[in-house]
Amino acid sequence: MVVDSQLMSFFTAGSLVVIGIFAALFLDNLIKKIIGLAFLADGVNLFIITMGYKPGGIVYIFLPDMVVSNFAQTASYPLPFALVLTNIVIGASTLAVILGLVIILNKRHGSLSASKILRDKGE
Amino acid sequence: MDTNALIAVMVALPIASALFLNLLDKKDRTIKILAIITAIVIPIIPLLTPYGSHFFGGYVPLAQNATLAQGLPSLITGTQLFQFHPGIMYVFTSAQQLMVFVLGLITFFAIFTFLNETKRPSGVYAFLMFMGTASVSAILLSDDIFNIFVFFEIAALAQVGIIVASGIKNNYETALKYILLGNIAGPLLLLGIVILLGVTGNVNVTDMIFTFKQGYVDPNSPVILMSLALITFGWLYASGLPPFHTIKSAVYSKALPHGAALLQAFSVFTLVAIGIIILRLFSYNPFTNIAIIGISVIAMILGITMAIVQTDYKRILGYLAVGELGYIGIGLGLGTAFGITAGLFQAVNEAIITSFLFIGFGTVLYKTRTSNTRKLGGMMYVNPRVALLVLLAGLAMAGVPPLNAFQSKLMLIQAAIQSGLPELGIIMILLSIVTFMTFMKAFYTIYMRPKPKELEILDNKIPRSTVISLVALLIICIILGLFPQIATNSLQTLAVGLV
Repeated sequence: MVVDSQLMSFFTAGSLVVIGIFAALFLDNLIKKIIGLAFLADGVNLFIITMGYKPGGIVYIFLPDMVVSNFAQTASYPLPFALVLTNIVIGASTLAVILGLVIILNKRHGSLSASKILRDKGE
Repeated sequence: MDTNALIAVMVALPIASALFLNLLDKKDRTIKILAIITAIVIPIIPLLTPYGSHFFGGYVPLAQNATLAQGLPSLITGTQLFQFHPGIMYVFTSAQQLMVFVLGLITFFAIFTFLNETKRPSGVYAFLMFMGTASVSAILLSDDIFNIFVFFEIAALAQVGIIVASGIKNNYETALKYILLGNIAGPLLLLGIVILLGVTGNVNVTDMIFTFKQGYVDPNSPVILMSLALITFGWLYASGLPPFHTIKSAVYSKALPHGAALLQAFSVFTLVAIGIIILRLFSYNPFTNIAIIGISVIAMILGITMAIVQTDYKRILGYLAVGELGYIGIGLGLGTAFGITAGLFQAVNEAIITSFLFIGFGTVLYKTRTSNTRKLGGMMYVNPRVALLVLLAGLAMAGVPPLNAFQSKLMLIQAAIQSGLPELGIIMILLSIVTFMTFMKAFYTIYMRPKPKELEILDNKIPRSTVISLVALLIICIILGLFPQIATNSLQTLAVGLV
């Protein structure tokens, strides 16, 4: 049986999103929550990459010896890849801020338990 | 079509200034000069900028660029690709002008108050305030939905920074909670955006609408509805509508008063900007309007009723601000030109009034170092002039004439009746009364009841700049209350275009 690689990739992305949301909402350990958030962001990135995948497509760089019409028909769509690059940068920055906050809160409370640190404190 | 570079300056200038401020450490005088100059210039730019569009990189649609379009194959010139916007586009109309101007004005008052209330102003704090302003301005101006997402994330980070910088007890916990939720809402919003990209091939909102209207995509397909749900989830987070009302009010309460004034303006204008995008993209589906109205009514009821039971005046204001967001949502959800105009006018008014209240009540924190209403009292005798200004701000929020929110709330009620939903009008009137009662209860507790013996009032004098800011905000409230057409004429064009 031949499995469609694009479909499998979409399935993996969906799984990462679901696992990520579950971990971020239901796990108590803050580091595990952060790993869940990273899963969620990576799931969305994989979804975008998979969407931009074109079977048999070529890289979207127009070289001097290329014919415009051939290029237009065969090149994959560059926009999803540009979005992923931007989102990776955003994700890394946000993750750095979250980890910084967790380091400070861990020093203050001596714990990584979200229920201990966040209950009735942040509201 | 000409490209107008001044539109981009509205975003670029605060970012550039913020980056410089971030580098300045312990250079108090330089920080003050640069911050105040930037704060003065930010509201002036939208007034000087002519209406139009800005195409980043000069990438106008091929249909408007005869030179580039020459010799292209029919695969491009004969299809919709010819019409599409290849780069990021900012659109600047009279509505954007008013909203960016009001945002700039609130930034100015926040920076002005911050610089005068703080002995050694932090360049990093000013950086965060300007980055937030730049991000929300970009969200208001951009026609590119991914660009909106990028600035949505930057705005969230700036807000977290403003909370962290406040030094208020448990601010780190609130910041962490807010950013954790943001890291769920952000990727889900992005997922909604990329689903739209997948089905329309675009991230430009105008092009997406073109694709729907030309019938290239079935707008009623489940995939599009999924995208609507995901984008709406991101919208709820950014604006602080339920289920994010609790964390949003906590965010306001953990920021310094000038920071809170700015944060609520960010929420209001993000609500409007993303709300407009949702209406532009999905208003063909009647469920969109019903959902917006439903969420808004819940926000009003939850926000205003939860404000009653709070004992921290910053939390009271936070919940009242969330409740007031519901009025804006109802205006947008009604979907008529008059209703949307009223909603947008309410947004402008709320941003001004809530800033007025946060800065006004901030003087109490400045004099007593507490925001707990149980510990406060007798502040009327400490500074009666400021007390009067705060009272007027509260009356404005409750919709008392001749102040500005009276006009917008009246318009909203009229719009609800015109749309055949008088029940909404009744709810809005009742909740305005509850808002008034809640505010008066807080005002009485803080200002009018006898001063508790254990309350220590500090010797520091309220800076003149804070009083000037309050008077200026009051004047704006009165002007918009007496001459609402100044705002409504600007907002009407956008509202008519959405119907």
